[in-house]
Amino acid sequence: MMDVDRSTMHVATMNLVVFVDDPGHREWVVERAQRLAAKHPCRFVLLDASGGTAGVAIDGTRHDVGVANLDAAAIASLAREHTVADVPTILWWNGTGLLESDAFARLVEDAQTVVVDSSGLERGRARIGELGTFLARYPGVVLHDLAFLRLGPWMDMIAQFFDDPALREDLFSISSLRVVSGSEAEAYYLSGWLGSRLSWQPLDANTFSAHGGRTVRVEQEVKGDMRRVLRVVLESDDSTYSAALSDLDPYTVCLSVSGAKAKPTRCAPLQNVDNISLIERALLKNAHDQIFETSLETVRKLLD
Amino acid sequence: MSVQLGSLIRTEKNGAANPLRAGLDSSRIAEPCNIVFFGASGDLTKRMLIPAMYNLRLGDILPTNVGIIGFSRSDYTDDQFRAQMREAVDRYSRSGPAKDPLWSDFAQSLSYVSGDFDDPEAYKRLRAALDQNDRERGTQGNRLFYLSTPPSVFGKIVEQLSDAGLGPKDQAHGWSRLIVEKPFGTDLESARALQAEVTKVFEEKHVYRIDHYLGKEPVQDIMALRFANVIFEPIWNRRYVDCIQITAAETVGVEARGGYYESSGALRDMIQNHVINLLALVAMEPPISPAADHIRDEKFKVLSALRPIAPDQVPKFTARGQYGSGLIDGNPVPGYREEPSVDPNSNTETYASVKFFIDNWRWADVPFYLRSGKRLARKYSEIAVLFRPLPHRIFGEGGDQIETNTLVMKIQPEEGVSLRFNAKVPGPRMHIRSVTMDFNYGSGFGVVSAPAYERLIGDAMRGDATLFTRWDAVEAAWEAVTPILNRWQATRAADFPNYLAGSQGPQSADALLVADGREWRKI
Repeated sequence: MMDVDRSTMHVATMNLVVFVDDPGHREWVVERAQRLAAKHPCRFVLLDASGGTAGVAIDGTRHDVGVANLDAAAIASLAREHTVADVPTILWWNGTGLLESDAFARLVEDAQTVVVDSSGLERGRARIGELGTFLARYPGVVLHDLAFLRLGPWMDMIAQFFDDPALREDLFSISSLRVVSGSEAEAYYLSGWLGSRLSWQPLDANTFSAHGGRTVRVEQEVKGDMRRVLRVVLESDDSTYSAALSDLDPYTVCLSVSGAKAKPTRCAPLQNVDNISLIERALLKNAHDQIFETSLETVRKLLD
Repeated sequence: MSVQLGSLIRTEKNGAANPLRAGLDSSRIAEPCNIVFFGASGDLTKRMLIPAMYNLRLGDILPTNVGIIGFSRSDYTDDQFRAQMREAVDRYSRSGPAKDPLWSDFAQSLSYVSGDFDDPEAYKRLRAALDQNDRERGTQGNRLFYLSTPPSVFGKIVEQLSDAGLGPKDQAHGWSRLIVEKPFGTDLESARALQAEVTKVFEEKHVYRIDHYLGKEPVQDIMALRFANVIFEPIWNRRYVDCIQITAAETVGVEARGGYYESSGALRDMIQNHVINLLALVAMEPPISPAADHIRDEKFKVLSALRPIAPDQVPKFTARGQYGSGLIDGNPVPGYREEPSVDPNSNTETYASVKFFIDNWRWADVPFYLRSGKRLARKYSEIAVLFRPLPHRIFGEGGDQIETNTLVMKIQPEEGVSLRFNAKVPGPRMHIRSVTMDFNYGSGFGVVSAPAYERLIGDAMRGDATLFTRWDAVEAAWEAVTPILNRWQATRAADFPNYLAGSQGPQSADALLVADGREWRKI
């Protein structure tokens, strides 16, 4: 889609619509969105409800639109006006509310993909619950939560234990899961991911029912920096599996197995992905992520 | 979904894949293995190979269960070897000094076997070390032997491996592969003899001849550029291409490698392998798939179509040079004949250029100019496709020069692609000027390319031979350069040294193109 702007010709393969309402978060969001927009040909529309933008400012393919104090219909109308027709629209939502926000509801109508980050929020638990509802309400929209994408390296760490065929059987005798992390979303998502992968059924907020009538206890401890996982511990009938950040290097995880199937402790590099790359993954992955959606559904049931 | 997962788990209990792996992206090599570095006390191991292994670990690409064994004559204990390798990583790793606890974890996978390459007892110790890793580190009998040694001992090592029961045919389980550093032979005859020795023990499919040039991202991008775009391939032929120039220029001299270089020279050291491999990639036909052998089939076909240069035609199709003293980066440097371990009357070329023709339908009569040299003006490697001039000029006022289009694949130090084309200069007149459209890997993708050795070692561990040279291509390359080698050995170059350090190379190389009405791109 060609977009002729006087002497300059721009190409947009998508609309990146970014909504932000927290003045303290605005610069963080704008800087990242700008870097993404510079890399991927797109129309970058900043819907600024933080008060940081007055009126409309257009600079090449970037359109900053001040939407503070406007109602949802006006915001959606402005968004439509500034986006390019006939290319996909990705909404990166950085608003305080989600499903209770009329602006969100209006903007989602024009979006094919929605990107949120439920990590580090005061109401992280409620937000994840809302995302579960979102999936049911908007089945045609692709949803990505950066909080889930950020956990990829930790999921890989946990999976590593059971790459060893000799230990794999223990997956079916897990009796407890303990997650220590800086915010709630990580713990919920890791629980949901394990539960959905292993067909555990949520019984209450802290318990799953597993095969053969077993129960799996879930413990969460909020500790350390937001968005960071510190430790994941799984207990099976006769062994304990622990993946914990090293005290010496925050980018290394020490994997240990103690008990009947004890193994020497191994260290593995934690392939943390920066926020821009996470958002980029979300932008480029324009298909439903079944693993995420089943994990989220499990979390939703856990929280119900 | 839960029904499917339930059945997955039931299958899982019977030994299927790890259910937690579904949907997880990982570049980690799945199969455990041992890698044995022969020549482990040498420079290549310290500068490149162990830092590459450590960075593969940092990138979480190494398999979870891995054993790394150094083998050489130097008398180290395991701990001394680990200390040496830590020093090497601290000094040469692209990721900076080694960090704990990852280094300590990595170091546990390192061990060392001391011995002569022809000492059967040393190979028994090696076998014991490999067996121990299989038991204790879960390496499952998979073995990758990396010959980072002078080619003169390749044959001995392979023979000893076989005698010690470490060849592929001796294995009850697991695989054995062999990585061979270049040069593979010193001429056609020695290469064939070496191949005969190697294939007594290792089948061709188990032999990985490494040419680190092929592991560079821009080299791999040649195929993407050609075969993942529709706009280039239709003009990639004699109808539109005037000539192709391939350059591998270095500013360094022979430094401490004078002894080796005296028996090698630029033709053997660079043209026969790196540069000819680039020619093959740029000139080959589209492979039917990205499978290693499909690509290597096409590379072989194009190399086998290289027109042989008759001995009496060598002066007409080639130029050779040797650097004298001069200035590099403003600093005086000695001439080749003044370098350590170099004969003061040396006849060895430090610069070689060759004009090849490819006798096939696509490239008939299109010259491929290849050049490589040391102590040149700039460190620079590229492939330049120069297109034919306009058939009829309608634009350009007065003296406007309308340059031919040039597509340049930049290999090092810059990595990327540039396209030179003509555009109208803004204003009322129809002035034409050449402009360049540039793609740079670093800024284009926002990532730094991993060094070639990391890519290649990882590929060999995975069993992907795409970026390794198959014997038929090695043989074809030796066949192409052998008449030149023979002629140059038989005749002294009376004008050596014939180019200044820091220059564009010898005048005779310029003359090679001037005779065709062309000129080299500036280095």
